[in-house]
Amino acid sequence: MSKRPPPDPVAVLRGHRHSVMDVSFHPSKSLLFTGSADGELRIWDTIQHRAVSSAWAHSRANGVLAVAASPWLGENKVISQGRDGTVKCWDIEDGGLSRDPLLILETSAYHFCKFSLVKKPKTSLQEAESHSQNCDEQDVGEMCNFQLGDDSERSVEDSGFLQDGDHAEGTTFVAVVGEQPTEVEIWDLNTREKIIQLPQSSPDESPNASTKGRGMCMAVQLFCPPESQGFLHVLAGYEDGSILLWDIRNAKIPLTSVKFHSEPVLSLSVASSCDGGISGGADDKIVMYNLNHSTGSCTMRKEITLERPGVSGTSIRPDGKIAATAGWDHRIRVYNYGKGNALAILKYHRATCNAVSYSPDSELMASASEDATVALWKLYPPHKSL
Amino acid sequence: MAEATEQERTLENNLLNKIAEAISAISDAKHVDQVISAIHSVAVLLFPVDPSLFSGSIGDKYRERFSSSVVPSTDERNDWLETFYRGAAFPTFARVLLLDVASDWLSCFPISVQKHLYDVFFLDGPVIEVVQVLVPFLHHVGDGGVDANSVQTNVERLLILCLLENAGVLKITKEISDSYQGENFKNGSLKPLLSRLSQILTSIPDKARLKAPPLLSSHLYFKNITNQLLQILDDRASSTEANSTVIVLSFVGEIFSRICRRGLSDLLLSEVTPHVLAHVRRLLNSKMGSIEMETFQLDPTPQIWSKTMEAVTDPYAVEKMAEQLLHQLYAEHASDVEAFWTIWSLFHRNVIHQASVRSIFVDKFLLWKVFPIRCLRWILQFSVLECPPVTNTLAKGDVTQGLLETTQRLASVWSKREFLQSVPLEQQAYITAALGLCLENMSKEELDRTKDVMHSILQGVSCRLENPGDLVRKMASSIAFMFSKVIDPKNPLYLDDSFTGNAIDWEFGLQMAVGGVRSITNSMENEDGENKTSAALTEVNDSSRRNKEKNRKSKNISDFLLADPDEIVDLATLNCETESDKDDVDDNASVSSDNSSVTSLEPYDLMDDDKDLGKQFTHLVDVVGALRKTDDADGVEKAIYVAEKLVRASPDELTHIAGDLARTLVQVRCSDITIEGEEDSAEEKRQRALIALLVTRPFESLETLNNILYSPNVDVSQRIMILDVMSEAARELANSKTLKPKHEARGPLISNISDPQPWYLPSNASTPWKKVPETGSFHLNWANRFERELQSKPGQTKKGKSRRWSLKSADRDQNSSDWSQNKFPLYAAAFMLPAMKEFDKKRHGVDLLGRDFVVLGKLVHMLGVCMQCASMHPEASALAISLLDMLQRREVSNHPEAYVRRAVLFAASSVLVALHPSYIVSTLVEGNLDLSRALEWIRTWALQIADSDIDRDCYTMALSCLQLHAEMALQTSRALESTGGSSSSSTGRINISLPSGISKLTSIKLPSSNVHL
Repeated sequence: MSKRPPPDPVAVLRGHRHSVMDVSFHPSKSLLFTGSADGELRIWDTIQHRAVSSAWAHSRANGVLAVAASPWLGENKVISQGRDGTVKCWDIEDGGLSRDPLLILETSAYHFCKFSLVKKPKTSLQEAESHSQNCDEQDVGEMCNFQLGDDSERSVEDSGFLQDGDHAEGTTFVAVVGEQPTEVEIWDLNTREKIIQLPQSSPDESPNASTKGRGMCMAVQLFCPPESQGFLHVLAGYEDGSILLWDIRNAKIPLTSVKFHSEPVLSLSVASSCDGGISGGADDKIVMYNLNHSTGSCTMRKEITLERPGVSGTSIRPDGKIAATAGWDHRIRVYNYGKGNALAILKYHRATCNAVSYSPDSELMASASEDATVALWKLYPPHKSL
Repeated sequence: MAEATEQERTLENNLLNKIAEAISAISDAKHVDQVISAIHSVAVLLFPVDPSLFSGSIGDKYRERFSSSVVPSTDERNDWLETFYRGAAFPTFARVLLLDVASDWLSCFPISVQKHLYDVFFLDGPVIEVVQVLVPFLHHVGDGGVDANSVQTNVERLLILCLLENAGVLKITKEISDSYQGENFKNGSLKPLLSRLSQILTSIPDKARLKAPPLLSSHLYFKNITNQLLQILDDRASSTEANSTVIVLSFVGEIFSRICRRGLSDLLLSEVTPHVLAHVRRLLNSKMGSIEMETFQLDPTPQIWSKTMEAVTDPYAVEKMAEQLLHQLYAEHASDVEAFWTIWSLFHRNVIHQASVRSIFVDKFLLWKVFPIRCLRWILQFSVLECPPVTNTLAKGDVTQGLLETTQRLASVWSKREFLQSVPLEQQAYITAALGLCLENMSKEELDRTKDVMHSILQGVSCRLENPGDLVRKMASSIAFMFSKVIDPKNPLYLDDSFTGNAIDWEFGLQMAVGGVRSITNSMENEDGENKTSAALTEVNDSSRRNKEKNRKSKNISDFLLADPDEIVDLATLNCETESDKDDVDDNASVSSDNSSVTSLEPYDLMDDDKDLGKQFTHLVDVVGALRKTDDADGVEKAIYVAEKLVRASPDELTHIAGDLARTLVQVRCSDITIEGEEDSAEEKRQRALIALLVTRPFESLETLNNILYSPNVDVSQRIMILDVMSEAARELANSKTLKPKHEARGPLISNISDPQPWYLPSNASTPWKKVPETGSFHLNWANRFERELQSKPGQTKKGKSRRWSLKSADRDQNSSDWSQNKFPLYAAAFMLPAMKEFDKKRHGVDLLGRDFVVLGKLVHMLGVCMQCASMHPEASALAISLLDMLQRREVSNHPEAYVRRAVLFAASSVLVALHPSYIVSTLVEGNLDLSRALEWIRTWALQIADSDIDRDCYTMALSCLQLHAEMALQTSRALESTGGSSSSSTGRINISLPSGISKLTSIKLPSSNVHL
């Protein structure tokens, strides 16, 4: 039987003038956020396929590195990270972006690692949504007098907020790579404070053994596995191709360290069930792995070798059926996440693809590319029941 | 003896007396019966006349006399007969019979009398004598009241009866052999008789009147004679008597040679060839498989034939016969074996014994004549290899001296450049094939034994390989291939990709080419081809659509599986259907396990290629940079691929970078950067880019290109490419209605010179002019009328149904070619003058007039194209003079290479087309004679080419050039008249009188009139 030729995008969003660096769907509305390398943040309507608004979120010289929205963040907020050392949280007011950011995190990091919001199993979705309303109201007043919190390290145990389920839902954390590019920092968006850095440097042994020789952190994924009673876990990929799994309760030593890739890890993605994920790097491999939280281990489930190296973005559909990667070779590749076999090679973009993302209802996939376009795809429609 | 002669003399006297009586009786006769009676009195002495056969039609008075007349005994009669025909009696009496009786009485003779009493004199006598008497009367001019017409009719009738119906030639040979045996004729006395006889026999059709019966026409007559001769030969072959055979065969040979001398060798051989061939086939069939020399050597028939041929002493006749034999064998589709033995049967003695005949085969047929290739094989087999062939392949005998000599001779002729320049293409192909076939049969040792074959072949191949003609190059590569196979059979040399196997088409497809002027209709054919393919495509689409609809009706996935793998499936429908189906299943299953649902995720086609990958160039600076990095082949290739697009976009930077870009594009080596087999596309892209560059920034890029053209650091191919690109660009500038690149294949080298639009139409018009159709011939029709549709004026608006968001809507809507404007004249000088300036300078690496004649041809062609593109514009007139100056150079116009001459003819024709008549008139009026002299030169020179050129294309082009010249002259004369008329009528006083010199010096000759301007 002759195979069906791969489909074309259902829509192509044009308007960016530079490489589109990241793409993210709104958690509930039919909106899509994209950020480009010239600092522009655009909001698109995914039904009408039109730009809703555009704003210069970051300076033209530095550009937007990553953009994200999350149900835990709130219905009308979006976070953008620029290469100007800041992470900004924006309010979406009547379709447009607020004139000034709600808050700015001065991370002073000028690297290429995209930040990560917390990923949680779906069960906690409802509560989070209801809670986010409160967050908004609280944030309004605090917007202007935001100060960078001091760099004093707090132990997780001291703060204790992560242990409390309610507290965890009320707080939004973001993981970014810090001023020292080997370190991953977790910031609290509400308090605008850095709450922890991984590995936690202890005063006695200055060079940290766990990350020594691994190079810069290139990809980070923050998630909250159901088994961990609300304690955050961090998956971080490094320049030498290794992936470290941290439990922030023990910030000194990672739970496990694996090396699936031979080149820098560029993208890490954890499934919404938090029991596994997919990673891509500068080498010609895509790796699917399982996470076992009871033993704190990470095991390779499937390794896919590509014809041409370079994967700059990965994403797993919320229903966990399929995963997609954005490749340097201009292709979006779609895989069966369960079995790990290739499903489609989507050729549309004429330049490196930077990111790929699925809509929360699993209907749409968006891909962002250096050719300044964003393509919307509909493949393998999900179950209507979900 | 003396007694015998005495007796003979008395007999003769008696006979003469009798005849004298009869003659006087005839002359005194008042009644037909008296004549008959007189004739009968003679006939009864000579022939066994039976009066009862004709007595019924004669009056009673004479009937009795007939029956009562004394009949001599048989012996007596034979004596009478012999005496009658040998002496003067027969000619005397025959004269009376043929003149007097025939004109006065014969028509009154009853048929039976005529048959049994009159005709017997001519039919029953010895044919040799009868013919000698009869033939002179064929064109006897009637005098003395003789009815010439009836006399000649009678003679013709008698000749037909005697020679054709009664097989006279057969009888002659019998008489010859009888007399040879009986009287022991000395050869000396018989030979002149035979030669006279054969001369008389073969001259009969020429002497016969026009209204003579068709049987005496040369065709039927000689056919009949030939058949009789063939029968004689067969008889001789089957009989054993040898004595007279020689003399008979020499007679036959004499007639053969005379027939050939009369230019009827084709007729002769069309009878002889099937006859011999049939015999050969019979022999071959009887000896199935084992054919040996002895079979034929022992068989008498070939011996007879070859002896006959030996008797043909006239070398011209032998040559003609051999030539015709080959053609006839070809027409009969004889196999190689059959043909060989046929030729052998006829000519093997000649070739062995006569050096002249041998040279006919070995020299003339190989070097001077052109036969079909199969005939060539036979010639080689017979005369060079000298041994019977093995089933349809050339076989080599033990004696190879002839082969070596022939090969050497062929190779030395073939290697000469003069030969290449001075011999028509067909003959070149023929000699190439001969050489190739010879080489095929040589071994390396034999090749080493020859003196300079190797050297000649290398020389010949190298001078052919640089020739612009495809066919010539193919000849070179074929010979090179053969040669390499001789040197090392395991490692043949393929100079050309087109042939792969061992078999070479020695005919070089020339059969097609002979048909006429080729290469003119190429572009037309291309268009047709495209149409066809597009039609085919739509067909395919249709069928696939039908398939699809069929499938959709039966909504079953299995149908999709079974369907034609090539069909186009509507993805959306398929996808939705399968997915929804699957989802149903999935929903049930997903509750229990996720994995089961995952299995139903059906992959798409995972085929992937990297065509679209790689860095895209967006700036011309990058392109130039990439082109310079010759070590990065991929980069260069990509740069070439994008160059045209970027140039067409005409960015601001183009002005500054045009020169650099042109230079780098010229200097890139496409063959280095591309993988094998894809050079052409890269080459094409490169040329397209250059064309685009020339079109968008002519001045900047032309400056560079003209500099490079004659610079020592480019090679011939680059020069040719530059010139090609310039002509293409000129064309595009001239038809600037389409700014898109032309997607036609590279056109023929010399394109058709006659434009679809006649040159005398105004070209710079917004809508095309059309000639108003008028009846009458071109020359009678002095007032051509033209019409065109006028565009609406600026203020005028047309009401329409649709709106357009465009200012140019009105134009756009119509045929888009309407708003074409010739942009070329502005740049014409930049295109032409620098290129013309230095063409004749010989310097390091550049020698246009000598070695690089291909470049010269291309240059001249390019200039011609430029002239055409500037047609009817004042620039054309200005440039024409300098172009014609260049063309008039002897080194150019009479270049030994036909390629250059063709280009010059094209350029000259272009000039004729491009000049506006009014300009010619104004130069004439001004008294500037340069132009008219140059135009006159075109005419004389074209005449000369048409008369004497060996190249077919050259003389056909020269003819059309002459035609254009005539047309130009006609239009000029009209323009001259109209200027004269209008100026005198409008101004009255100003009378432009032609300078007196013009009428003498210029001679623009008009067709079909004697008017000289």
